[in-house]
Parts: sequence; C-alpha cells; structure tokens
Amino acid sequence: MSAAFARDELGTLSSVLDELLPPRGDGRLPGAGALGLADGVDTATRASALRPAIAAALASLAARGFSAQSKPEKLARLQALAKEAPEAFQALLVQAYGAYYTHPSVVEALGLPPRPPFPKGYDVPATDFSLLDPVRRRAKLYRER
Amino acid sequence: MSEETVDVLIVGAGASGAAFAWSLADTRMNVLCLEQGDWMDPSRYPSAGMDWDLRAHGDFALSPNDRKRPADYPVNDAGSPIKAAMFNAVGGSTITYAAHFPRFHPSDFKARTFDGVADDWPLDWARLEPYYALNERMMGVAGLTGDPAYPPKQLPLPPVPLGRLGETVARGFNRLGWHWWPSDSAIATQPYNGRAACLNLGPCLTGCAQGAKGSTDVTYWPAAVRRGVRLRTGCRVREILVREDGLADGVIYYDADGVERRQRAEIVVLACNGIGTPRLLLNSRSKLFPDGLANRSGLVGRNLMFHPYAMVIGVFEDRLDGTQGPTGCGLMSHEFYETDRSRSFLRGYSFELMRGVGPVTMALLGGQGGWLPWGAGHHEAFGAIFDHTAGLLAICEDLPELHNRVTLDPELVDGHGIPAPRIEYRLGENSTRMLEHGAARAKQVLEAAGAKLVISEAPMRVAGWHLMGTARMGSQPDRSVVNAWGRCHDVRNLFIIDGSVFVTAGAVNPTNTIQALALHAAEMLKQNLAELFD
Repeated sequence: MSAAFARDELGTLSSVLDELLPPRGDGRLPGAGALGLADGVDTATRASALRPAIAAALASLAARGFSAQSKPEKLARLQALAKEAPEAFQALLVQAYGAYYTHPSVVEALGLPPRPPFPKGYDVPATDFSLLDPVRRRAKLYRER
Repeated sequence: MSEETVDVLIVGAGASGAAFAWSLADTRMNVLCLEQGDWMDPSRYPSAGMDWDLRAHGDFALSPNDRKRPADYPVNDAGSPIKAAMFNAVGGSTITYAAHFPRFHPSDFKARTFDGVADDWPLDWARLEPYYALNERMMGVAGLTGDPAYPPKQLPLPPVPLGRLGETVARGFNRLGWHWWPSDSAIATQPYNGRAACLNLGPCLTGCAQGAKGSTDVTYWPAAVRRGVRLRTGCRVREILVREDGLADGVIYYDADGVERRQRAEIVVLACNGIGTPRLLLNSRSKLFPDGLANRSGLVGRNLMFHPYAMVIGVFEDRLDGTQGPTGCGLMSHEFYETDRSRSFLRGYSFELMRGVGPVTMALLGGQGGWLPWGAGHHEAFGAIFDHTAGLLAICEDLPELHNRVTLDPELVDGHGIPAPRIEYRLGENSTRMLEHGAARAKQVLEAAGAKLVISEAPMRVAGWHLMGTARMGSQPDRSVVNAWGRCHDVRNLFIIDGSVFVTAGAVNPTNTIQALALHAAEMLKQNLAELFD
C-alpha cells in the first residue's frame, strides 16, 4: 500500500480530474475536481500496481505547473500523457469515473435517486401481457422428432 | 489427517453440488461438501452501497483474474477470445448469475439426429423433464405459460415485469413478427419459500441483497443443511485419491487455515464447473491414471464449449428506466433457435434482453468502446446514452471441438500452489457465422423498436459464464467420460455433475439443465446404490 499523496500532489490531481470531467456547460453537473474527489481517487489507487506510474505522471504534470496552465495547455498535456503512459492514464480515468459517478449529487443530477438500490428498490409497473397476443397465435417453434 | 470416511463427498457447493446434496439428504447417508469459497453475506453485496456500480468492476468483477478474491483461482485464458467468468462461494456462480433460467429444447439432446452435427445425448428431454420441474420449484422460477418455443410447462411464480425498456424492445419484436416471451427467471417475484419478493434492485450480477434471486445459498443449501448435509467452507481440493483397485478413495484438500488434509469417502462427486472439474481430474495423476483421473478416453478437458455472445446495444431517444428491474431477466426470443438450413450455420441462438447499466459501467463501456470522450464533450455524449440504452444478447450454441480444451498451466498456480487451468479456445466457423447473424438480427430488432444508433461487440469478451463439455457424457467409454447419470466410466464411485458433462451446449443459459441433470444423477445413484460397487 502506497502512502497518501501530499497536498501539492492532490492539488495537481484535482486539476487533472477537472479536466477529465469538467463542469457541464449548463451547470447541472459539477466538475470532478470541484467535487473534492481527489482524496477518493488517491485512496482508491493506493493499492494499485499502477500507483507508481500514476504518481510519476502527476509529478511530471506538476513539474510543468499543470494547475496554472491554460485549458488548451492542460488538454495538450493530458493527451500527451494518454500516449506516453496509457496504462496509468487509463487507471486514473477509471478511478475518476468511479468516484464521479457514485457521488450522490452526480447520481441525482443524472435523474436517479441519490441512494443505493437496496433496500428501497424500485417500483416497476406490472406488464400488460396482451403485448404477447401476436406471439401466442404462432405455431410451435420447437422440434420434437 | 481426518480419519473419518464419509459416504458421499461432494466437491463444490454451486448450482449442481447444492441440488445433488439436497437430493441425497433424504437417504440419511453421511454427506459432506467441500467448498473453496465461503458463505456470502448479502448485507455486504454492492447494491447496498452507493458504489454498487463501481464494485462490479472490483471485488465483484466478472473474471476471477480481475476479482482476485481469496476463494478465486487464476485462469490462464490468454489463449481464448472469451474469458472465464465463474464465481467461487457457497452458491458458486449462481451468486453472480443473471438467473435467466430457461430449459433446453427437446432438439438440444439430439443434435446429431436432427442436424448431423456433434452427438446425441445419452438421455432425452422427456427423461429430464420431471427434474426440470422439480428444480424450478426448488429454485423458485418465474415465468408465463404458453410459450410456443417450448412444450407445455408450469412455473411456480408470475414473470418479472418488463418495464419501459422491455416493453419498448418487445414492440420491436412484434413489428418484425418475431418470437419473444417473458424470461423464465429464477427470481422470486412474490414471497416464495422464505425468500422475499424482488425489489427490482437492478444489479443481479453482483449478488442479490434482497435474497429474491435463486442462488443456491438461499434455495437448496439451507434445506440440505437442515436435513443433515455438512458443508465445510474455505476448503480447496488439490487432488482425488485413488485406491489400488482403481476406485476413488477421497481427496487431499487445504482447509481454511491452509493446512493440508485428507478426506476419505465411499463416493466422490465433482461439481466444480466445466473448468474446475477437468483441472482437478488432470491434477489427479497416478500409476493407474497417468493422464489424469477418469481420462482413459483422453477427453477430460476437451470439447470445451462456451456460449459465444453477441452484445448489441441500441440507443433510444427516450429514457428507459434501464437500471430498474433484474438486469438480465426481462424477455427472451427463440426466433432463431432451431436449425434453418437456409442460413449459413447449423443449430441456433436465443436472444436475452439486457437492461440498462449503471453510470460507472456506462462510462467505462463508452471509454473502452471509444464512443465516450473525456474532457469537453463528455457530458453531452454521456447524457445522450445513459439510461437511453437497451441491449440484446445473442447466446449462440457452440459446437464441441476437440481442440478447444482445458489443460493445466505449466507455470501459473493458485494461492495453494495448485496448477491453474489454462484455456485454449478458438471460435469455430459455425459459431462465427452465427454470431454475425445474431448481431445483425439484434440490430434489426432494436431499430424496429426505435433505436437511433446501434453498437455491438461480438464475441463479447468477458462472457465465459457457461462452461460446458469438458467431461462429456455418453454410453461409449472411448467417446465419453461419464454415463448418462454422471458416473465415470473409468472410476465407478466417481461422479461428475456440473456443466462438464454436457454433450452439446444448447443456446440458452445452462443452469436449469445443469441442476436438472444433477437431480437426475442423484436419483439414479440412489436407485443403483445397492449395486454401485459390483
């Protein structure tokens, strides 16, 4: 298990998350960085075999002042990273999606109740199986001999 | 070392081991089951947490190679386009199956007679029918009578609701005039035998927190244990021991503390699935059986059959409430099940409805498929597909081919140092043509249902749920491993009762057939007990 990222590494990670999953234009969905997901992504990747590669990628970005760069510069850096360290980049992306799309505010904004499926479950209306009338009129479809 | 000799030792507590154990319980024999996994705790299933969707890619991932739970063993499936997807626990893969629970067709037992391919089974549909019916009562199967794709049958529970998504797809089938029917589902749609009714949680493939899904830890096992069967968990069997007279003598296993133990038995029964069973047989070499136990035919591990899947997803204009309702149970279609010689393949396939996926899964699928960008444009693309998709899975009948096989990996081992299984598998021409046909027909259905965009993957990669054929049954010892009731030709007190014994694969999920065969085998064992060792 790796040590937690330091504050400056978390800052870079937060900036990266906001580029991977930026706020939606209409304001209905926040950016991943602004949601404070960096700590969760840090925790989720600590046991990963790719953690050193992720840490190295963040260090490389930080060394070039990623957080202070313009949006086009950030995009170019991340596109380069995706080519240079595809496994680390993919691992980071998976964790970003995982943290983002399980956050209650994001889940609610997607139109789902911000709760786990269990124990409330969902009401699904009973089906009117008159839909099957054309199928019921068909001859048997199986072979016996 | 244990000195106790049990009457019957079952290895594996999944679908078949549970049914077999329950059936034997009424004999009052001393029955013991060894299971490498543990009892699952439903309160800790993913659907009870906000991260339910994420855990489907972590500790509940489909592949044991990704999941890496202590109970799992690695599988070298680098030599196969289809990756193994079994689960190890009390309940086996029924913990994570969709509970889509159809029977085989009568013609599935006579592929040679009807279509001139593969072989006929040494038993027929009529022989198995009472065991299907018994199994459906025990597992609590929901469905609707009157399906023209099957001989008449009665199921104990009403069908699962289709929901907006299922009704949309059903109308697509109707527009084409093609068969569809509500799925036969091992899901308690009403309270049933102590099981609570389904709440439409959605993610059945990561365990059912409600206990409505018919996994054998909540169906057969409680009844079997109440009737005296003993179930010992955390016990991984390494090899089967053989006496000098060629009979099975018991097993060597590692207990939950990792201690090597011996368990002696009068009868040994393997219920370890179509990969685990040949692995264990091949790892049980002796002077009498230098090529692996019960392998004088050379067929142990050969004829591995999956069901190659084509996954076809339609994107619709409207939202479909796709995360609500049993994910893999809704409707099925057998329009293309039986052989039609005007097609480019023999035998056939079924369709199974796939409801929508959660947001994490959708994002990952989109990323892997290259149709969901990160960064600018992500939300617009995501919003257009999330909860706007319905899927159809074409479940294709694979034919048995000798070169598709399970062997022991020369290097890879599990946590106890036991050689891991290696899969060598390639899609046959018939299966390839069938997949193409299935993907094209699924696209037609989804477009007829209103899909504006259709995406497909064939064969679906991590879809090796159905593991069949690697110790097949038959009446001739040189052409099969076991007889019609799972008894090994070479070792008359050794039985195999899992999907390994399948002669052909059919084109539906096999669990109902696996369990019906296990119940039949148990009944035959009971009937023949007096002469079993003669």
